[in-house]
Amino acid sequence: MPKYLCLQRSLSGAAEDDQASPAQMQAMYAKFNEWREKFRENLVDLGGRLGKGRVAVPDPAPDGPFVEVKELVGGYMVVSASSLDEAIAVARECPGLVRAGSGVEVIEIFAPG
Amino acid sequence: MKDLEDHFFRHEYGRLVAALSRRVGMRHLEAIEDGVQFALAAALEVWPKSHAPENPSAWLYRVAYNHLVGDWRRTTRRAELVLRLGADAPAGLDEPRVFLTGEVRDDLLRMLFVCCDEALPVESQLVLALKVLCGFDVSEISERLFVSEANVYKRLARARSRLRQLEVQLDDLGSTEVAGRLPAVQSILYVLFTEGHFSSHVDGAIRRELCAEAMRLTEELAAHVVGAVPDTFALLALMHLHLARMPARQDASGGLLLLEEQDRSLWDSKGIATGLTWLARSAQGQEFSRYHAEAGIAAEHCLAPTFAETRWERIVECYELLDRLAPSAMHTLNRAVAVAEWHGPRAGLELLEGLAPPSWFASSYLWAAVLADLHKRAGQTALAERYRAVALESAPSPLVRTALARRLGST
Repeated sequence: MPKYLCLQRSLSGAAEDDQASPAQMQAMYAKFNEWREKFRENLVDLGGRLGKGRVAVPDPAPDGPFVEVKELVGGYMVVSASSLDEAIAVARECPGLVRAGSGVEVIEIFAPG
Repeated sequence: MKDLEDHFFRHEYGRLVAALSRRVGMRHLEAIEDGVQFALAAALEVWPKSHAPENPSAWLYRVAYNHLVGDWRRTTRRAELVLRLGADAPAGLDEPRVFLTGEVRDDLLRMLFVCCDEALPVESQLVLALKVLCGFDVSEISERLFVSEANVYKRLARARSRLRQLEVQLDDLGSTEVAGRLPAVQSILYVLFTEGHFSSHVDGAIRRELCAEAMRLTEELAAHVVGAVPDTFALLALMHLHLARMPARQDASGGLLLLEEQDRSLWDSKGIATGLTWLARSAQGQEFSRYHAEAGIAAEHCLAPTFAETRWERIVECYELLDRLAPSAMHTLNRAVAVAEWHGPRAGLELLEGLAPPSWFASSYLWAAVLADLHKRAGQTALAERYRAVALESAPSPLVRTALARRLGST
C-alpha cells in the first residue's frame, strides 16, 4: 500500500486555543487511543512534533522568502492507505489535528516499482 | 496501551502541585502550576505514541520540575537557584522518592491545610482546593459552583496573593499550628461534599464527582495521624450515608423525589455498610461534633426499612444536638419536620411558633414549603394555601417546583 506523509499545518488567522484542563486532557488521551486502535493497520509512523528549522540554500542565496519551518508545520506522521482520499480520511479523524487553526497536508510518498 | 485510571490527569495535577510546592515553596505556586500543566500536555503528546512510562507519576514530576527549573534559569541567576534548592539540586532529581505513598499523602494533606488559611474567606479556600488539589480549571469550577468565571478568578487571585505572603511553611504536619487548623479542613471538605450533594446541577455525574473528590480527600485525612480523630470519621460516615442514597433521589426522567417517595431498594447497601463502619469508629472519645449528629440522622434514615418505620424520636434527638452544636434556623426547621412525623403536624408547628427565622431563610422556599405542608396536614387550609404560593414562587428550579407542587398538592 502506498504511504503518505501527513504534515500538520497551522492555518493563518486562528487564535491560540485555550489550554486544555486535566479532565479534557484525559478525554483527549482516550480519544487518541481509540483512533490509534481503529487505524492500527494504517499507522506506519506516528511521527512527532517538529521544532525549529531552517532552509539551507546555495551561496549566494537566490531571491525568495525563506521562512522558519516551524511557522508552517507543527508535526508529521506517516500513514499507509490505498488512496490519497483514504489517507486523508485517516488523518482527518485524528483527534485535534483538523480543527480551527490547524489543518493537515497529505502527500503521497512515491515509491517506484 | 493500557488505559489510565479514572481522573488520572486531574488527580496527578493535585499530587504534582502538592509535591512541588513542598519542594520549592508555596510562594511559587503559579510557576508550579504552569510546570505541571506543561508536563501533562507533554504526556498527552508523547505517551500515546509509544508507551506510558513505567512510573507515570515520576515521569511527570521530572518533566514538571525541569520545566520549572528551566523557567527560573531563564529568569534568575544560577546562584540564587542553588541557594534556594540546596547545593547543586538538579542532580539526583530523577529519583522518584517523592512517590512513596506516605509522602504523597503528606503532600496532599499539607496542601489541604495550606488551602484552609484563616486569612482566606471560605469561598476562596474552596476554589483554591478545587484548583490545586482536584485539578479543575477555572471554567470547570465556575460550572460546578454556579459562579461566574470572573468570580472564580477573583477568588483564586486573592488566595494566591495570600500564599505569596506566607512566610511560615507548614512543613511539619504534626505541629500545633496544623492541628489547630483541622476544624477548618473538615469544614471545607464538608462544604465540598454538600456542593455536590445538594447542588441542583442537572448533570448527576458532575454532582457525584464533587462528592467523590470530597470523600477522596477525607479518606486521606482519616488515614493520617493528624486527621485520624472521631469527628473526621463521623464526617466520612455522613458522606457515605448520603451518597449511598443518591441513586434514589431522582426518577427516570431526572425529576426530584422526596424521601418518602424514594425506592429504598436503589440505595447502595455497600455504601451504607461502609458509612456505618465509619460511624462506629467515630463513637470514641468524649467529643460529639456536628458531624456525629448529621451522620446519626443519615444513619437513621438508612436503617429505616420504610419511611413510616423511621425512628423519628432518634432523629429529633440528633437534630436537637445539632441545633445546639451549630445553631441554625435550618436545623430547627428540620427538627420540626421530624417532630411532626413523630407527634403530628401541630407539634411541629408549635416548635416553629414564635421563631423568627433570619430574613434570608424566611424568604426561602424551604421555610414556606414546610409551613405549607404542616398547616395543610393540621387542617389549616387558608394558611397552607398562602405558604404554598410562596414556596412555589421561590422554588430555585423547575425540578424543585415540580416536586413541591406534587407534595403540597392543591388544597
